[in-house]
Amino acid sequence: MKRIIAQTRKELTQTFRDRLTVLLALVLPLILLMLLGTALSFSVKGIAVVVQDFDRTPLSRQYIDALNASLTFRVVALPTNRRPDEILAAEQARAVVVIPENFERDFLRGRLSETQWLIDAVDANTANVMRGQAAALTSAFAAQLNPAADGQSAQPAVKAEMRMWYNPGGSSRKFIGPGAFAVALALFPPLLAALALSREGEQKTILQVYVSSISAHEFLLGKIAAFFIISLAEWALALAISIPLFGFKIAGDPTPLIVGTVLYLFCNVCFGVMVGVSIPNQAAAIQAVASVQFLLSFLLSGFIFPVSNIPAGIRWISAFVPARYFIEITRDAFVRGGGWPAVWDAPLMLALVSSVFFLKAWLRMRQMQIDAD
Amino acid sequence: MNNFINKIRSQRIWSLFMKELRQIKADKKLVVSLILPPTLQLIIFGFALNPEVTNLRLGVVDESRAAASREVVSAFVESRSFRIADYYRSSEELGQALSAGKLDAGLIIPSDFAKQRERRETARIQFLLDAVNSNTAGIAAGYAARIIAALNERSAQPLSLDVAGTPSSVRGRLVTRVALLFNPGLESAWFIVTGVLGVLLVLNGSIIGSAAMVKEKEAGTIEQLLMTPAPAAEIVTAKIAPLFVLLSTQIFLALGVGRLVFALPARGSLLLLFTAGTLCVLVGIGIGTFLATFSKSQQQAQLMGFFVNPPLSMLSGAMTPIEAMPEWMQPFTLLNPISHFSAIARGILLRGAGVDALWWHLLALIGFAVALVGISAWRFRKQLG
Repeated sequence: MKRIIAQTRKELTQTFRDRLTVLLALVLPLILLMLLGTALSFSVKGIAVVVQDFDRTPLSRQYIDALNASLTFRVVALPTNRRPDEILAAEQARAVVVIPENFERDFLRGRLSETQWLIDAVDANTANVMRGQAAALTSAFAAQLNPAADGQSAQPAVKAEMRMWYNPGGSSRKFIGPGAFAVALALFPPLLAALALSREGEQKTILQVYVSSISAHEFLLGKIAAFFIISLAEWALALAISIPLFGFKIAGDPTPLIVGTVLYLFCNVCFGVMVGVSIPNQAAAIQAVASVQFLLSFLLSGFIFPVSNIPAGIRWISAFVPARYFIEITRDAFVRGGGWPAVWDAPLMLALVSSVFFLKAWLRMRQMQIDAD
Repeated sequence: MNNFINKIRSQRIWSLFMKELRQIKADKKLVVSLILPPTLQLIIFGFALNPEVTNLRLGVVDESRAAASREVVSAFVESRSFRIADYYRSSEELGQALSAGKLDAGLIIPSDFAKQRERRETARIQFLLDAVNSNTAGIAAGYAARIIAALNERSAQPLSLDVAGTPSSVRGRLVTRVALLFNPGLESAWFIVTGVLGVLLVLNGSIIGSAAMVKEKEAGTIEQLLMTPAPAAEIVTAKIAPLFVLLSTQIFLALGVGRLVFALPARGSLLLLFTAGTLCVLVGIGIGTFLATFSKSQQQAQLMGFFVNPPLSMLSGAMTPIEAMPEWMQPFTLLNPISHFSAIARGILLRGAGVDALWWHLLALIGFAVALVGISAWRFRKQLG
C-alpha cells in the first residue's frame, strides 16, 4: 500500500511540473465540452428558402408571410427567372418553393391547389425535417383559412395528443449535454495515463521499476490512482460548467451517477495505462489513444445517433466503448430519472470492461518483469 | 547565365526533395498510417452517424380492445417506422417502461375509444414520446402525425358522404408536393462522407506535416539542414513537396472508398475536386508545420494539435448542418478551410455544381494555403535566428 501511494505521489508531482500537460489536463476537457455542447446540434433554424411566386395574389403572399413567420424557414429574395436547381446548386437556398399560377383561384373554387417544394436533400436529416415542417406549415395555413373544414363539417375521426416526455421543449441540449459530458472525459485522462507509461518505456526508466521491489500490480495501481485523482478534478470542473451550460439537474436517485462516475473514470484510466504499457513511444501512444478513444466515444457510443442505427457489422465494437455505458447513466441521471432499475447493467459492464483493460496491462507488465529478471 | 543558375537551383531543390522522399520511403509505419486510418475513419463515420428513424420501439396500452382500436395499432405497425415492443395493461406500466428506456414511444387508446368512434365523435388517443433525443423524437412525431392523418383520410370517406348533401363553404384543399433534389433516397452517409473527406485531408496533413518537421528537431539534424546553402523557403518547399504528393493520393483513396462502400455519385468535375483537395492538403501541412515550429518534440506537437484540430473539425459544418449551430457562431465557418472544402465536395459530387458556383470557396482555400505555408516558412527560419 505504501508503495502504491509513493508511486501516486511521484506521478502527480511529475505531471504538475509540466505546464503543457496541466493545461491539457484541466482546460482542454472544458474546451471540448463546450465545443461539443454548442456546435453539435441538429435542430435547424432559419433555413434559407427562395419563393417563386407565379400567382402574385393576396393568398400567395399570405402563404409567403406564413413561411417567414415560422422559425424553421427564412425567405430569401431572389429574382424568379432562375431555375430552382441552379439556385440550390449554388447553395443560395436549401429549398425553393414554387407557387403556381391560379393558386388562389383553384383554392377558392374548391379545387386542389398545391405548392411545390424543391428541397436540397444533400443533408438527408435536415431534408427530412424540412419536409415534415413544410407539410405541417401548409396544413396549418389551410386550417386557418378554412375553419369550417377543421371544426365541424370534416371532423377528424382520430385525434392524437402528442406528449414529449422528459424534454417537452425538444431542446437538443438535453440530449447532447449528457453525451458531451461523457465524451469530454473520455479523451484526456487516458491520454495522460498513456503518456506517463509510455514515457517510462521510451526513456527506459521502466527498467528501474523492473529491478525495484515494486510488483506489477502495485506499480499500475499507483499510476492509475494518480490519474484517477486528476480525472476526478476534471469531472468536477466539467460538471461545474455543464450545470449552467446545459441546465443539468439531478433527476431522481444520484447514486447510479456516483457509482457510474467512479467506474467510468477508472475504466478510462485503465485503458490509457494499457496503451501506455504496450506502446513505448509517446507520439505513437498519443495517436493510439486519441484515435481510438475519441473516435469510438464520439461515433460508436450513441452520443449523436442511437447505437441501434449502426449496422451490426461494426455495432459489436461499441460494447467495448466505456462512454456508451456512461452516456446511458448520465442521460438517465440528468434527464430521465429512471434510477437503478433503468441503468443497473451499465455500471456492471463498465466494471467488466475496466477489468479487461487492467488485466491486459498487468499481464504485459508481468511478462516484461520476468524478462528483466 | 541566368539559366545556368536556375539549373543549379533546381538541382539543389531536387536533391533535397529526393532526400525527403527516401526518408519517407524508409518509414513503413508512415506509409501504413497514410492508408489504413483514413479508410477506416471514413467507413466508421459513414456508417455510425446514421440519423435514420426506423423500427422505433412502441409500447401499446389498448384499454378499448375493439376492432376500431386494433385498426389504429395496425396502422402504426404497417409503417416501417414503428414496431411493437410490448403491450401493457395500464398507462402507469407503460410510463415505467418508457422511463426505463425500454421504449421509444407509447400509444394509449382509452376505454371509450370504440364508443366515440361509433358515435362519430372525435376519438382521442395519447401518443407519448421519449424526447431526450429531440431529433429522433421530432421526426417520430411527424411520422405518427402522418399515420393518424392517413387513418383519418380513410375513415373520413363514408363520413363525408353523409354530409355531402350540404355543400358548406366550398373551399379547396391545400397540399405540398415535395421533390427531394440531389439525394432522393435520403442517403445520410453522403452528407457525412463528403464532410469527413475534408476533415481527413486537413487533419492528416497537419499530423504528418508536424511529425516530419519535428523529427529533424528531435534528431538534432535541423542545424545541418539549415546550414545547407539553400534559403529557408527552398528547404521548406522540399520538405513539404513529397508529403504533399503522398497525401494527395489520399483524395483518390477516399473517393474510391466513398464510391465502393457508400455509392457516392460524382456529378461534377473530378479535376476541380482534386484541385480543391490538394489545396486542403496544403492547408493541413501548413497547420502542421506551423505547430511544429513551436514544439520541441513530437508529442508536444501532437498535444498542441488538440487545441487546433477538434475545434476546426467540429465547427466546420462537416458533420452537422451549419444552420444548426448557434447564430453567432455561423459566420466563423467562413474562416474554416474544412467548411469551404465540404461545400466544394458536396457541390461537385452531389449537386453537380461547377466553378461558377464554387469559385469563392476555392479562392478562400487558396488564401488559407498561401497564408499558412508562408507563415510557417517564415517561422521556420526565425526559430534558429
